[in-house]
Order: sequence, then structure tokens, then C-alpha cells
Amino acid sequence: MARMKRGRGMAASWYGIARTATIDRAGAWAELDDGGTGKVVTGVTEIGEGILTVLAQVAADEMGIKPQDVTIGDNDTARSPEAAHAGATRQTYMIGNSVALASREARNVLFEQIADHWDVEIEQLRAFDGEIWAEETNLRMSMEDAVATCKARGVVPVGSASFTAHGTGLDPVDGSGSPWQAYVFGTQVAEVEVDTWTGEVQVLGIWAAHDVGRAINPRGVEGQIEGGVVQGLGQALMEEYITDKGHAITHGFAKYILPTSLDIPQINCVIVEDPDPKSPLKAKGIGEPALVPTAPAIMNAIYDAIGVRMKTLPATPEKILKALRDHVPGREQIAQSARQERAGAARH
Amino acid sequence: MPKLQIDAEVNGRKISREADPHARLLDFLRDELNLTGTKEGCGAGECGTCSVFVDGKLVKSCLMPVAKVSGSRIETIEGLAKPGDLTPVQRAFHKTGASQCGYCIPGMVMAATSALRENPQADIEEIKERLGGNICRCTGYTKIFEAVEIAKAVIAGDMPETALEEDSVEDSYIGANVRRIDAPSKVSGRLKYAADMKMPDMLQMQVLRSPHAHARIVSIDTSAAEAMDGVACVITADDVPGKDGFGVFVHDQPIMARGKVRHVGEAVAAVAAEDLVTARRALAMIRVEYEELPGLYDPADALKPGAPVIHDYAPDNLVKHIPVRKGDTQKGFAEADLILEDDFGTQQVEHAYLEPEAGIAYVDPDDVVVVISPSQNITHHRHMLAEIIAKPINKVRFIMSPVGGGFGGKEDMIYQGMLALCAMKTHRPVQLNFTREESLIASAKRHPSRVHYKMGLKWSGQITAIEFDMLSDGGAYGMSSEGVMRKAAILSCGPYEVENLSVDTRGVYTNNTPSGAFRTFGGMQAQFATESMMDMAAEALDMDPFEIRRINMMKIGSSTHTQQTLETASLDRVLEAAEIASRWEKGAPRVRGAERGDLNGPDTRKPCTLGARIKNAAKDDAKTTERVA
Repeated sequence: MARMKRGRGMAASWYGIARTATIDRAGAWAELDDGGTGKVVTGVTEIGEGILTVLAQVAADEMGIKPQDVTIGDNDTARSPEAAHAGATRQTYMIGNSVALASREARNVLFEQIADHWDVEIEQLRAFDGEIWAEETNLRMSMEDAVATCKARGVVPVGSASFTAHGTGLDPVDGSGSPWQAYVFGTQVAEVEVDTWTGEVQVLGIWAAHDVGRAINPRGVEGQIEGGVVQGLGQALMEEYITDKGHAITHGFAKYILPTSLDIPQINCVIVEDPDPKSPLKAKGIGEPALVPTAPAIMNAIYDAIGVRMKTLPATPEKILKALRDHVPGREQIAQSARQERAGAARH
Repeated sequence: MPKLQIDAEVNGRKISREADPHARLLDFLRDELNLTGTKEGCGAGECGTCSVFVDGKLVKSCLMPVAKVSGSRIETIEGLAKPGDLTPVQRAFHKTGASQCGYCIPGMVMAATSALRENPQADIEEIKERLGGNICRCTGYTKIFEAVEIAKAVIAGDMPETALEEDSVEDSYIGANVRRIDAPSKVSGRLKYAADMKMPDMLQMQVLRSPHAHARIVSIDTSAAEAMDGVACVITADDVPGKDGFGVFVHDQPIMARGKVRHVGEAVAAVAAEDLVTARRALAMIRVEYEELPGLYDPADALKPGAPVIHDYAPDNLVKHIPVRKGDTQKGFAEADLILEDDFGTQQVEHAYLEPEAGIAYVDPDDVVVVISPSQNITHHRHMLAEIIAKPINKVRFIMSPVGGGFGGKEDMIYQGMLALCAMKTHRPVQLNFTREESLIASAKRHPSRVHYKMGLKWSGQITAIEFDMLSDGGAYGMSSEGVMRKAAILSCGPYEVENLSVDTRGVYTNNTPSGAFRTFGGMQAQFATESMMDMAAEALDMDPFEIRRINMMKIGSSTHTQQTLETASLDRVLEAAEIASRWEKGAPRVRGAERGDLNGPDTRKPCTLGARIKNAAKDDAKTTERVA
């Protein structure tokens, strides 16, 4: 028997966006500021996923300025409107949309003044990347001048918005209800190599296809998928917090084993965009869903490689070796008898 | 104790300072020199967040006594580039999006810089090997590898400097790879996380934690600790002025143990003192008398009649049961040609964010109690703390400091209440920084789960019925268990339209470390079972795993497990995308790995082999000799 065995497996998944089985909300304030810059204030901040950059892109696009000219004031219950929590794959969906709406309102305040100043229809106005112009005219100026013009007319271009996601509670008896207004789907394929002498599994490739609605920052989406895959890989193969009568045995990173650089497969991301009709940005989310299919895809690949099904995580080398030793071909027998039965059914 | 005299060169400047003899290089850099770009992630040399150069060699500063660096040349993240400037490695990290939470990044940049200084021609395998001592929990390392390869090429002149610049944008910033606006502050070590912040006159807090899993507190005597020089205050549950109790769904957890402890590591008392050492010494002076109680360590035992009761309000130890029913499972199983039944289990998992919990509290001049911490839910924490300290809500202010990784683990208010009480008692700023060991035993984990699964299918592959029964260990407190059980139940049977199903998820109390919110919130535990069953069903039916999923998949108009009609559904597209991208070779999952033609493609990495490290090292030696020669 060859020592190293390869195999492939796949798994699909689904996930809901924003808070579960309840109404979700987030608020934001926006201002087109001096110098043609933007100011956005909202009550929640970065936990590493890249939300500040997403919000800067969204605000810049709505206000017609550059992302690096957006200042985000955030994260303070006494200084910013409520945006609730940083979790539930809700940041881009909830806060992204509230920032988009608030920024749009601030821009519209400015547009009203500039349309009057130029004597054009408001519908003719466009703004992008620090410039504002009126379609079908030669009228054009910098956003810096536009803000100054607006303020000289006595108006500060500000906006505010609240975004709502309409989830409903579950019936206490049969669980029926509409917990989310937006769902995402994903599929991952894993390719593994199993060392049948040591029981060690190496994941060599992951192909991860995820629907995100609309990718505001594709590189950021990839970063979320890659991070989710590697957390899923850790849970699949090595991570385990163990207690003995409530006392932790894995009380440091020497005992609690995490994936490091040599454990990482080549991760091939495919971003699928199925726009969300209820979201002004059309975007949904990716933070949590990226992790869901990784562990089952790896377990299915291990089965393909060595014919033993790992039903409890993590599939440590010790467990793989034991499974190989204890292996009785039960599953194959079920499959075989099912095949025979099915062939019999087809004959009748 | 006499101080040590340390003379060294730090980031190109001579320094001469006194240091405590017990200090590590890490403490000296952070506390004496305010070089807080060097982070403490584990204090045990395992994670690499504290990496610096000493005499040109990459070292973990948490393992080096400061006494050893006198006369040495030290370089930290702050010294790599001139103020306001970034090195090619730092710029490449910015370009590729290699920093997410950023807490591991200064150490990672040091390791990457070391790799390219040691061997400017290092190939990707060697780069990975050289980054092996640095843990990143956010990025999945992929963008970090990309960054190091770009930096290497730019430094070697194989790529122009423009490779480090931002991609240009066409007509919209939506859909553009705008570089992360917070990355320069992270790759340069300038961003201040809660543990990096200092306030004038600030006290250090330490927490006394339970050594027992389940015990009645007979008495707590804090008098000796309170009498110590340098101790500003000692707090216990008796100091809570309002209605004590927090939790994401049920407020069953006191700020500190009240009457009894329910898990090892639960906070029992806390000390705020002039410095960390005094606070730790004071903890040892607190006398707690416990009477041990029988404990529960297995979730199945928790539901047995006569089991010890952990919370009086829940005599059956049940945190939450979520039932989902649809159609008629009896009828569905009767119609099935094949019925599969099996059991699945998932383990307890630690978030392992590189930033251990940390925070500061103070009372501002207008009597507002302010808490600065990497909290994932400042809105809810403000509500709960206002009740606990009996203040109007506008007299409580939460500021969310940069979060060095959360993944759900920083949604629970497990220490902010204690900080607030100490600040209110002393009217001085108070800081608490968890050690890694403390973070591991005191913070919530991913719920371990057991699923009993029964699935009925037609020969065609169509699922006729599913019974899904999940039991999860919620540990000692409710935290997010209710929500996790709900999400697990809603998502349980996967993205498939199942006409008849019966789903139950139960979370129970035990005396284990609490379980709480963790990226997917029950979704992965449930779908691990479903996706394993789907593969087993595909094998039994001689069917390609993509095909069996297509037969059952949710589409627009499908009714979900909770009988919601889907207005959009993209499973068909993601299945197709993954199938094409992976060059999937069709066939039933029947251990055909050995005969597959789709393996070992250019989109996979090469396996690591034992001995590669030694071979590489030998190669390095040869190269070094060459360079010297």
C-alpha cells in the first residue's frame, strides 16, 4: 500500500446575513466637509475584517470623493449613533447600507445648492473622485469648491440614516419564521494528502466559491475567505480545547495547536455575485459563511483518500491512525447493499 | 530589589535606563521605552507577536530577560523605516491586504524582514518556513505570503517599485481593491490597542480566579490585601451597586462570582494597585473559603434526573431548546428507499485572537463611567453595565478600542464590569491586561456538539425526511448559547429543500469553560453533520456529490426549514463555480482518490516533507558561505 494517499471532497453551505430571527438596525451620520473631504460617524468599528475601508469606499462613492479623503469617527457610545455589534456577518450589510444612505443624503443636500447655483436640474449632477459636473454642460468644479459654495449659501451638507433588516422571530412550537431577509450560499472543494504511517493530513488545495451579493472590495472578500478556510482547517485537523473535570489541559499555544504558515493550502477563491434586492448596496456578507464548508469538505476528502470517515473533529493523526487500524468496511457494505437493492428495484 | 542598568542601542539611538531585574526585553520595550508596536500575544514564545531583532537576529522578546540585552543593538518595528515612511515589506503588506486585525502584524513584518535579510533569494517554501514561528489568526496567511514575495521581487529589482502602489480605479470605488485605510498604522506598529494605552495616574488591575469548577463560596477575606502598600482597592460581588448580571441573551452571569463559582477561572475578586507586581502579590493575600459541590462535565449528564443544578433558575440545566418542525417525518421516512443514521461530534474550540482581552476604565469629570476595550458589542455592554452599576445610560460610555481579533469571543462583557467598579471606587484610571492563560480559561469557546442524524432518500437522490438532534455543551454560563442553538436549528439541514423534517437543538449548562459566540454561531457544527451525511448518501446511491446536492438544493421559491420562501438563491451558481474552478472529476465518493485524474494540479501546493527543514538549512549554510566568500 502506498504510504501517501490523496483524495478530494466537497461540501456546500448556506448562511443568513445580520442578526437572527429579529429586526436588525444600524445608524450613521455623514457630512461633506471642507476641502471636499468626507466625515462619517457610526457606532461600531473594525474587528479586522476591513469594514473601515469598505465604509470609506461606500461613502466616497456616494459623496463623489476619494476613499482616502473620508474620515471615519466610530466606536463610541457617547459620540456616535447606534450601529449595534460587530458580528453576525452584518457590518457591510447593516452599517455599509446606513453609511451609503447617510452619505447619499449629504450629497443630495450639496447637489440641491449646486443645481441652484449653476441653474441646472439636480438630475444632471454627477460627482466622482473629487469632482462635480453637470451632464450636457461644460459646468465642472472640484468638490472642495462645491462644499465652499454650498457653505457660502448658508448650508452645511449633512445627512443621517438608519438601515433596517426585517427578520422575524421563530414560532416556539414548529420554529416557523423568516429569520433573515438575505441568505448566502457557498461551496468548497478540498484536496488532501494523508500519510498512512503517521496519520498526518495535509490540505494541499481549497477551491472556495461564495456568493457575497456584491464585492465592495474583492481583495477584502478573498481575505475573509482565506481566513475562514484556515480557521475551518484548524478545527478540522488540530484545534481542540480540552478540559478534565473543568480544568483546562490546553492552557497555552504549546498545547492548543493552531495552523501556521506550513499548514496552509493554496486557496483558490471564486467570488459569485447574486445581488441582494433589499440592500441599496446589493452586497451581503462573507465573514462567517467562509468557514462553514471547510471542515466537512476536508473530512469528505480524507474519506476519498483512505476510506475511513472521520465523524468527530478534529481528525488528528492519532484519530486517523486509530480509524485506519479499526477500519471495518461497514460503510462500503451499506453502499453495496443499497446498490444491489436499487438494481433489484430497477429490474422489477 | 536593586535595579539593573541597561545600556543599549535601540532603533539607532543609544539608551541608558534602569530596569527591574525580573523584566523581560518585551516589558522593557513596552513599559520603559513606550515601543508598543511590539505586542504580547502569549508570553511563552509560541505566537511571535513580540518578535524583534537583537544584534540582527530575530528573537522573541518575551523569552529574553532584559539583563541579556545590555550592550546589544535592538531593532523594533518602529525602527524599520523613518517616521512616516514604510519599508518595501511594510508597503507590500499594505498593498496585498496582509493585515486584518493587525495584532500579529508587527511581529510578522519583523519575521518577513528577517527572512529576506537572511536570504534575499528565499523561495516560497523557505519563506513559509521562516514565518513558521508567527501565528496569524485572521488572514489565513495567503496575503502575507503574497506580500513577502512582492517585497522580495522589489528589493531584488525584479519588479518595479510601482508594484507596491495601489491599483488604479475606473469609474467607481465599489468593486475596487482599495488598499486598507488602517494598514499603515498596523504594519508600522503605530496603532494603539487597549493594552498599549497609558493614562496618567493609572492603576493596574488583577483578577483572582476560581480554582474549582463548582463550589460554594463560604467566605472571602480581603482585609490583608487591602492593607498592603500600593493597593488602591479590592472588589468582590458585594461591591456591585445595581442589578448584577450580564449575558448576550440571558443575564445569568455576575460581574464576579456571587455565592458560588461555576467554572474554573471564574472571577472571584479583583485588586487595583499602583503596579502589576503589587496587584499580583495582593491577590495571593485574599483568603477564599470554598465548599466544593458535585460538578457536571458532560452535557448528556446535565439532562439526567437528579443531576446537580448549576443555576437555580434552570433546574433542568437547559439553557435553550429550539425545535423546528416541517411536514410529516413519519410519512417521509415511509416513502424513503434508503435510510441512513449516524452520529457526529465537534470539539470545543478557542478563538485564539492574538490580542488577549484588555481594557481601561475611568470616571470622567462629568461623572461618566468610561470603559475602553476591544468589545464587539459596545451598545449592549452599555445597556448592561448601566443596570449593574445603577447609573443612567448616558452616564456610561463604552469606547471600542482597535480589536486584535474577535471572531465572536469579545462579545461577552467578562471583565469590563470589574474595571468600571475599580474606577468608581478609586476615581483613577484602571487597566487590566489578560495573560494568554487567563484568556484561555476565562473566555467563551465554540460550543462542542453531538448530532444524531437520520436521513431518508429516494433512489433518485431526493431527500424525503430528516431527523436532526443536537446537544451542545454551553458550559457554566448562558452567554450566546440561546442564539447559537437557534442559528444551528435554522441552518441545520443545510441548503436543501426538505419536505419533512424534525430538528431539535439543545444547549445545556455544565461546569466546563463557557461556550459562546464563535464565527458561524452554530452553523458549522450543524452543517458538518449534514455535509458528511450528504457524502455518505451520495456514496450509497452511486451519485456524484455535486449531483446529489443539485437534486435537493434550495432555489428561488423554495421553502426553507423554517418555512420561509426564498426570494433569491445562488446555490446553483456556487456549486457550478466550485466544480469548474477545481476541475472536479465526476463520480461517486467511493474512495477513488488513487484513480482520480484531477489531483495535483497547478492550483495546489506541494506537500511538505519531513527533512525539508534540514535540507533547506543546509542550503542556507551553503549560500551564506558563498556570500561571505
